[in-house]
Amino acid sequence: MILLENVTKTYSGDKTPALDDVSLHIEPNEFVFLVGKSGAGKSTLIKMITKEEKPDAGKIVIGGIDLEYVKKRYIPNYRRRLGVVFQDFKLLPRRTVYENVAFALEIAGMSGKDIRKTVPKVLELVDLLDQAKKFPAQLSGGQKQRVSIARSVARQPKILIADEPTANLDKLTTEEIIELLKKINDFGTTILVTTHNENIVNSLQKRVITLKDGKVVDDQKRGGIYKLDDVKTPKTQTGRTIRTPGYAMKKKKVMIQ
Amino acid sequence: MTDEKDLKKNSKRGLKVMRKSHEFHPIRNEGRILKYGAKGFSRNIWLSVAATIVMAITLIISFVTITASVILSNTAETMREKIDITIYLKPNTSLEDLNKLKETIEKDANVKSVVISTSKEEYEKFLSENQDSEEIIDVMDEEMSELMISKMQATMRLKVYDVDNLDSVKEIVETDDGFVAAVDEEKAPTYDVNQVEIATITSWAKIARTGGLILAIVFLMISVLIIFSTIRMAIFSRREEIYMMKLVGADKRFIRGPFLIEAEISGMIAGIIAAMVSYVGFMFLAPKMAGYGIDVSAITDVLNSNQSVLVCAAFVLLGVLIGRISSRLAVQKYLHKA
Repeated sequence: MILLENVTKTYSGDKTPALDDVSLHIEPNEFVFLVGKSGAGKSTLIKMITKEEKPDAGKIVIGGIDLEYVKKRYIPNYRRRLGVVFQDFKLLPRRTVYENVAFALEIAGMSGKDIRKTVPKVLELVDLLDQAKKFPAQLSGGQKQRVSIARSVARQPKILIADEPTANLDKLTTEEIIELLKKINDFGTTILVTTHNENIVNSLQKRVITLKDGKVVDDQKRGGIYKLDDVKTPKTQTGRTIRTPGYAMKKKKVMIQ
Repeated sequence: MTDEKDLKKNSKRGLKVMRKSHEFHPIRNEGRILKYGAKGFSRNIWLSVAATIVMAITLIISFVTITASVILSNTAETMREKIDITIYLKPNTSLEDLNKLKETIEKDANVKSVVISTSKEEYEKFLSENQDSEEIIDVMDEEMSELMISKMQATMRLKVYDVDNLDSVKEIVETDDGFVAAVDEEKAPTYDVNQVEIATITSWAKIARTGGLILAIVFLMISVLIIFSTIRMAIFSRREEIYMMKLVGADKRFIRGPFLIEAEISGMIAGIIAAMVSYVGFMFLAPKMAGYGIDVSAITDVLNSNQSVLVCAAFVLLGVLIGRISSRLAVQKYLHKA
C-alpha cells in the first residue's frame, strides 16, 4: 500500500539529509506508528507521501501509483485519494464543522444529495453531529482533531496519514483520538501515524518504525515498543522534560534490572 | 525490468481512473463556488465593506474626473463658438452695399455665418441696450439721433469654422475693392484684438481634453492599486486557508473561485453605490454650475435619457472587473506557493 525504496532527500542549504536511503513497506490494512524525535525526518516522510516535497532519489509507490508519474496538474486528484490529518488540524476557519467535512466531498465533485447523506454519517462516527453548525474557533482541541479526521475519512480513502495528531491534545483526548483511528483501521483503512507519545505506541501493540537522523533504525513488525534509548522524550520550551507516567515506570524498571 | 514496466503501466492506469473518478460537473461546481463566494462575503463582512467602500470611492473619483474633463472641454468649445469677428464699415453704408459685401465674404470656405447691420440698426441696438439709462435717453432728441446715426459704423459680424486660421478672411477684407472702399479706417476689424482671447480659450480646451484624460487614467491606476492592496491584504490574512484547501486536494479553480466571487460582489455593490452617489451629486450640482455659465448639457443629456442605464452598467462592470483582476492576482500568489 505504501512503499518507499531508497528514498533520499536533502533540503537546499542543509548539509545532512532529512531522509537518508529510507526503505519501508506498509501492507494494506496495517496500523503503523512512525516515531522519532524532532528532526528525525518524520514530517519529511509524510510530505513525500502527500507530494508536498519531491525526493532527490528513490521511489515512492502509494496505492499502486508511482508518484514520479503524478504530474503537478494531477496532484489535487492524487491528494483526494489520501486522508491526511494534521497536528494543527488545518480546518477552514470561516466554515462550519459541517462545511469543513462537506468541502472534502465537494472538491471531489460529489453530488449535493450524496453529500447531505454522507456528512452526517461521518460526523456521527466522530461523535460531533450536534456540533455541525459551529465554527472551528468554538471547538476544543480534541473536537477540532475529530473534525479533521472526519474530513479526511469522508471520502473513504484507502490510506489515512496522521502527522502528530495528538501533539496538541491532553491525555484523555489523545486516547479518544487513537481509539477513533483504531476504529477507522478496523473498517479496512491503512493507517500511518507519526507521534512522540510513547504511551499510545506502547498501549496499542502495533507495528512501530523508528526514524533517527533520517534513517530507519528500527522496524518492529508486531507489538513494537517505543525505545527510550533511541528517542528522548520531548522537552517543553522552558527545557523541562515532560515526564509521562510511562516514562517514569520504564525508568524504574531499568533501575530495578 | 518487467517490474518497472508493470509499475509504470499500473501508475498510468491508476492516474487515469483517478482523473475519471473526479466527475466534473460544471454547473454543480460553479454553484458551489458561487455559494461559498457569497458566504465568504457575508462572513468577512468588515473586510468586504472596506473593499466595497474603497472601490466605490474610486469609481466616484473616476466619474468626477471624466465628467470634469468633458464639462471643461465643452465649456471651452461653447466659448469658442461665441467668438465673432466684427468688421466696422463706414457710417451710412447702404443695406445694398452691405448685402453685396456679405455675398463676397460668404464665398470664403471658413465663414460659417454673416450678420450685417446698418448704422441705423446699430443705433437702435445701442438704444435698446441703454434703455434703462435715463441720462442717455433724455439727451436723445431727433437732432442727436441723426448725428449718432451719421457717426455710427455699420457692422458685419462673422462667425467662422476655424478661429485659428483667419488669413483668408483677412485677405478678402484687405484686398477686395468693395471692402477696401467700405471699411472704416478709424476702427479696425476685431480679429486682431480677439486673437489673444481666442488663443487662451483654445489652449484651455486642449488642457481640459488631454489633462482630463491623463488625470482620469492616473486616478484610475492609483485606485486600482489601492483596491488591489486592499484585496491582497484581505487574502493575505487567509493565505493559510488557501494552503489548507490545497493540502486537502482542492483544484485551483475551486480554491480561487470563491475569492473571485467575493471581490466581484464587492465590485458590483460598489458600482451601484458609486452610480447612485454620482447621479444624485451631479443632478444637485448641475443647475448651480450652469448658473456660472458652465456647459453641463452634455452630461445632463446623457443622464436624463435611457443612456443613464448604460452609465450605471458601466459603473457596475468596471467595479466587477477591477475586483476580479485584483483578487485573481492576489490569490495567484499564494496558490502557487503551496
